[in-house]
Amino acid sequence: MNHASSNSLVIAEAAKCIGCKACELACFAVHNRDNGVGTAVGTVTMPVLPRLYVIRTDSFTMPVQCRQCENAPCAGACPVQAIRQQDGVIAIDAEACIGCKACALACPFGAISLYKAYSGGAELPQPLLQERRDSKLQRKTRITAYKCDLCRNTEIPGGSAAGGDAGGRGASAAAAQDRNPYPACVAVCPEKALQLVEVGTGSSRSLNREGVIF
Amino acid sequence: MRSSEPIIHIDPELCTGCRRCAAVCPVDAIIGEPGRPQEVDAHRCVICGQCVQICTAYAPDHLEPADGLKAKRLQRGQLPSVREPLFAAYSTGQALGVKRALADSALYKVVQCAPAIRVSLAEEFGLPLGTLTPGKMAAALRRLKFDRIYDTNFGADVTIMEEGTELIGRVMSGERLPMFTSCCPAWVKHAETAAPELLDHLSSCKSPMQMVGALVKTYGAKQDGVDPAKIYSVAVMPCTCKEFECSREEMEVDGLREVDVVITTRELAHLIKDAGIDFMNLPDESFDSPLGLYSGAGSIFGVTGGVMEAAIRTGYELVTHETIPNLQLDFVRGEEGLRTATVQLGELELKVAVVAGLKYVSAILNQVKAGQCPYHFIEVMGCPEGCVSGGGQPKLLLETMRKSAYQARKSSVYRHDSHQQVRKSHENPAIIKLYKDFLGEPLGHVPHHLLHTTYQSREKAVSPISAGREGGRI
Repeated sequence: MNHASSNSLVIAEAAKCIGCKACELACFAVHNRDNGVGTAVGTVTMPVLPRLYVIRTDSFTMPVQCRQCENAPCAGACPVQAIRQQDGVIAIDAEACIGCKACALACPFGAISLYKAYSGGAELPQPLLQERRDSKLQRKTRITAYKCDLCRNTEIPGGSAAGGDAGGRGASAAAAQDRNPYPACVAVCPEKALQLVEVGTGSSRSLNREGVIF
Repeated sequence: MRSSEPIIHIDPELCTGCRRCAAVCPVDAIIGEPGRPQEVDAHRCVICGQCVQICTAYAPDHLEPADGLKAKRLQRGQLPSVREPLFAAYSTGQALGVKRALADSALYKVVQCAPAIRVSLAEEFGLPLGTLTPGKMAAALRRLKFDRIYDTNFGADVTIMEEGTELIGRVMSGERLPMFTSCCPAWVKHAETAAPELLDHLSSCKSPMQMVGALVKTYGAKQDGVDPAKIYSVAVMPCTCKEFECSREEMEVDGLREVDVVITTRELAHLIKDAGIDFMNLPDESFDSPLGLYSGAGSIFGVTGGVMEAAIRTGYELVTHETIPNLQLDFVRGEEGLRTATVQLGELELKVAVVAGLKYVSAILNQVKAGQCPYHFIEVMGCPEGCVSGGGQPKLLLETMRKSAYQARKSSVYRHDSHQQVRKSHENPAIIKLYKDFLGEPLGHVPHHLLHTTYQSREKAVSPISAGREGGRI
């Protein structure tokens, strides 16, 4: 193994995070263009469903998201192989997902959530099951697992310019993988608290610490 | 009285205490500790709504009981059909009342739209930033059952006639200089709060919105043969402070409110969606006559430097009696917080300044107080790029889009101006007719009664004149 073959990940520096949730909002925005989510808040017709979560304690706030685990336990737990390693990202195939929650339980970081699936900004019905709502039987809404995919296959308008010097040494590696140089959360963070980093495998932890701030 | 109720709020249940709102507030009106819910100091607050624009602390729908979100929408004056996320910083809306009034057949419903609405409304429907849609906007307002679709741009042209004449008079007599513009209600409130001793430096002109309001219930009512008391006058504004302005006690004409209610760009979009109008496929329709006919000069009021440029186009010709050689006055365009220029009007060397963003005005106010201000005429707009960046404009999901959004809206405003046949206020045939048939001379008796106003000190024991702290959190 060499450095280039490990999965990149986004990590946050708690000391810089001010808890504004701009990262959550940006994450939602870029992942829901198919749901009619444009540049203005007024285009949103569905709940804000982010793929990272700003956690709060008494002493700090910090966004937490998928570590893109090399031996991803979520993938191991998925009974339908809907979670796969693709182009340096642990990705969930939303169409294949059966909403069994095994991945969410297996994730050591709480980085996977199950939400309703949306299509064109409206809830996507489940093809088989029905449930009683408003005293009549209606199609159950489809539920899908969501997690950070490093903004794979998304467009981040204005993102690269604003990304500026964020990203550190992970930037060149990310560019080489032909995807957005910075995930949306990194690009919008007003405090530059988020970084896209690549932690080398096959190196000692002391070397890895250069690229990772804990 | 409505004006005593705060318009800008921060929801303590949603605020995370990130204080980005405090960093954009130009008058230090947001108070609180980092990590704790913030509060708005209503005395200092100029209701510009920049905090509303920047706030990203949203209510997570999936965690809240649906009833809680419904209650919040009602508290904020939002229509129940609105589905967009709720943020901690917000302005209370008036769409519920407007919807009720639109269904009332006994009322004669009149609407006016600010110059900056037509370059941003389409963003609420997913069209590219800055898409110019005056025709669809007029059509949508007609579908909403407004009886007359008028335009604040018309009022902007009237403002140039009155304010331009006032300026020339003051320059000739050397009195009360510099003269400040008075179109921006956030700036007016700030001047009343932070520099009450300088209020006679403000132009006595009402804002274009109030001028249209006054004309709607007098000249417009006469033209349409309608009882002014039955007119319900609505203004669509890019600005959260305009509701405060329309509620000011003095904004009355013959015992009637000039503008009954103000809604923002975002609220107009809510009403259009609520009525099930297919905005994207509306045909282009025109504004109604006479209070809907405007010049290019009127339309550039929506950007910083616009009032100045419009005033110079007319002022140059009134003073020199010659045609202005170039209509595109690049020296007042731009986005810097403070821009200055010297304009040769015949023999007169007019020194002008344009202030975009209230945090840049305190230095000028101090100069005026010290009697050392070199300018004759100063345009002040409370928001960073003028009304295109107002607190009631479409709110961006991504901070990375802010610069390009403002740029696109500004380009659109200038494009609209350059495509107008008439680009100077004093050449607008509807304005010429208005003065000939109704107003008489600028600054005359009728204009004085309808179009000019006075200001009041809002000073407290401790004056916040030293406002202007650069952005940054505590």
